Amino acid sequence: MDLDSQIESLSKCITISENQVRDLCAKAREILIEESNVQRVAAPVTICGDIHGQFYDLMELFKVGGMCPETNYLFMGDFVDRGFYSVETFLLLLALKVRYPDRITLIRGNHESRQITQVYGFYDECLRKYGSVNVWRYCCDIFDYLSLSAIIDDRVFCVHGGLSPSINTLDQIRIIDRKQEVPHDGAMCDLLWSDPEDIEGWGLSPRGAGYLFGGDIVGQFVHANKLDLIARAHQLVMEGYKLMFKDTIVTVWSAPNYCYRCGNVAAILELDENLKSNYKIFEAAPQDARGLPAKKPAPEYFL
Amino acid sequence: MADNGDLYPIAVLIDELKHDDVALRLGAIRRISTIALALGVERTRDELIPFLDESIDDEDEVLLALAEELGGFVDFVGGPQYGHLLLTPLETLAAVEETVVREKAVESTAKIGQLLAAQQIEDHYIPMVNRLSKGDWFTSRTSACGLYAPVYHLASQKTQDDLRALYATLCKDETPMVRRAAATNLAKLVSKLTKPHVVGEIFPLFSALAQDEQDSVRLLTVEGFISIAGVLTPEETKSMLLTILRSMCVDKSWRVRYMIAEKFVAVSKAVGNDIVKEELIHAFVQVLKDNEAEVRTAASTQVPGFSAMIEKDVVLREIMPCVRDLVADSSQHVRAALATEISGLAPILGKEHTIEHLLPLFLLLLKDEASEVRLNIISKLDKVNDVIGIELLSQSLLPAIVELAEDKQWRVRLAIIENIPLLASQLGVKFFDEKLGPLCMSWLGDCVFSIREAATINLRKLTEVFGYEWAKQSIIPKVLAMGQHSNYLYRMTTIFSLTTLSHVVSAEVLKDLIVPTINSLAADPIPNIRFNVAKSLEEVLPLLKKHGLVSLVQDPIKPSLVKLSEDSDMDVRFYANRALGVLAA
Repeated sequence: MDLDSQIESLSKCITISENQVRDLCAKAREILIEESNVQRVAAPVTICGDIHGQFYDLMELFKVGGMCPETNYLFMGDFVDRGFYSVETFLLLLALKVRYPDRITLIRGNHESRQITQVYGFYDECLRKYGSVNVWRYCCDIFDYLSLSAIIDDRVFCVHGGLSPSINTLDQIRIIDRKQEVPHDGAMCDLLWSDPEDIEGWGLSPRGAGYLFGGDIVGQFVHANKLDLIARAHQLVMEGYKLMFKDTIVTVWSAPNYCYRCGNVAAILELDENLKSNYKIFEAAPQDARGLPAKKPAPEYFL
Repeated sequence: MADNGDLYPIAVLIDELKHDDVALRLGAIRRISTIALALGVERTRDELIPFLDESIDDEDEVLLALAEELGGFVDFVGGPQYGHLLLTPLETLAAVEETVVREKAVESTAKIGQLLAAQQIEDHYIPMVNRLSKGDWFTSRTSACGLYAPVYHLASQKTQDDLRALYATLCKDETPMVRRAAATNLAKLVSKLTKPHVVGEIFPLFSALAQDEQDSVRLLTVEGFISIAGVLTPEETKSMLLTILRSMCVDKSWRVRYMIAEKFVAVSKAVGNDIVKEELIHAFVQVLKDNEAEVRTAASTQVPGFSAMIEKDVVLREIMPCVRDLVADSSQHVRAALATEISGLAPILGKEHTIEHLLPLFLLLLKDEASEVRLNIISKLDKVNDVIGIELLSQSLLPAIVELAEDKQWRVRLAIIENIPLLASQLGVKFFDEKLGPLCMSWLGDCVFSIREAATINLRKLTEVFGYEWAKQSIIPKVLAMGQHSNYLYRMTTIFSLTTLSHVVSAEVLKDLIVPTINSLAADPIPNIRFNVAKSLEEVLPLLKKHGLVSLVQDPIKPSLVKLSEDSDMDVRFYANRALGVLAA
């Protein structure tokens, strides 16, 4: 019941105490450790892309898609960084995961990493909101346990970034030892960093990690693993979602008005029990539905 | 200080006041009243306050906390007769660089000042005001501006004369920051002065500030204008203030015009009806037509308030043409502000003119391309309803409302749904069934969860209006049909609707339609449906007891819940067991 009150508090964008975070992460670890690198998920489920700490827009997402546990969710990573409320966003999703493990699936994005969060905001936010980096440490330890991908009814493969030249079958993903910081190269890195692109075969990624992969690669992977669709996130799409390569791969982006300035809409992908897809577009939460961000920037001595 | 064992925690707190870690110092300041309480009033006066004064921190965060705490510290130093001791640290705080610290220090100082006796004011407060007002840095002079009004009435005649003279120097300060503070605090000071002083001394100062070379100073004089006009007779206002007002309305800086536009009703009330009629109508038309969208937005919010002060035919002749232009304004913010306020014109214009002049504008705003504009106009329609009646309103606006009910922005649809029960109660069953019934049902299948949720609540409210016989005929069959939908999220709507409706229907409907349908969904293949059946049954249980339908509890509800409590899904088991708990209770 304590968990329910934590969910209630986090749903109002109120943080929970450091000790509660520690206990929550311990419980989450027990659940996540059991999950496969290719976590099996049953339809119906609603697939969501990057959130990036935009808490009030996540609430907007729930208003459009339905609250958990009523609606089943799969979040494809990048919960933290850039937005004002990475702490509340990630902890809410994690608390929902612990409370309803069968109703919500969280997989890892490239921002769920010690290195990246120190540059793009989550580290500073933890320090500012808790006065110490303990919460950041607890969360990063949990990031290492997040699954790398998911498969819905054996037909829809979900991953944060994309494919890897060292991966041809889902079984090759299953044998990765994922409980570590995201490496700088190799299969695990590629799954979290790669992007589809209108090219033949593989290409160098301008991101400096992962690869670009073309329609032929997607075709081979989909065929070899008997898939209908690959769903991924990782790239801003102004229209919220973007299908490529004869609808074999889709990018789903769930952070409307990304960084509070990009002017994009967001999308979620509802798969019903017959795997029929239904894209839902939503806009950023209106100003009166948002709490004001802390007026004063982080005091110097905290940074 | 730690020689006494009982005082140990206090010693820790005092150590923390000097600690290197800012967070600890901050915590200690926040608990400074505890320290004071433990030390007792005497030692607080003799040791703590001098200590705080000497070791004034360099971190703004800590200073801000200290400035705030000191405002409520009078009791800890032994009551008002010692309150002046707190002025020393506050005086230092009022002179620091950081604005928020200074503002808090001024606030606390003013609070203490009002508790002091006349002699303390003369001996301590006034000398402090003197020092701050003559400080070398603009920071202390800025702070000083806020300290006059709170104690002016407590000072002696002679001191009052000095204070006014000193305030005059602040109004003429060479630094714009100080003049801004002087302009901001002018209105408060005016309320404490006698009329001759206002006319003889303050007015020239105000007049200078209102014509200051800096627009940031000029824009702060609007409040002062209102309070001075409040003291003067209409004739005096006319001769003294009118020129200033005229130039404010056409100031070359839009920020000044914005401030006037934003306070136009308050300004109009202050100057009195004659000036409004002779002078301000034209001025108001000017701000409504201003070149800057910000000014027009501010002016739009004043339209009903200002119109209420003038003759109806003048509104029609002078104001309405501007309103018509604003409805088609190029700025969405202007239109949004107008949409919020325009319905306020209906009671002023009366039924006939509302129909002739306002309704066409409502229609335009209802069709505006910006959803914010559409939303604002819908949420204020009840005011129009009071004036022209629901029949006319619905006849003219219903097509637009129906269109909005399918708006692509879900918050617009939500606003419409929220107005439906009101419309329903006034339209009557027949008209409603014909025009709005299908809409209400279509919302149940809306693609946005929140709309489906609002639609179920709407059904309950409609049933409260039209009675459960109507619900049984018109709604329930359609709700039942949705239980067959191929998507679980829509089957869930059936459960939600029936659960909500179960509170307002008869025992018969409950027994024949609601319970069997909910129960049949207990065998649904999707666990989310099954655990919502359990949640729903939990809510319906007490209602069955109330309606004397206890037999239903034994069959079919209990066997269903028992079966669900052995489900393969753990969430289903959880909610089934919780419902069984309610059943057993």
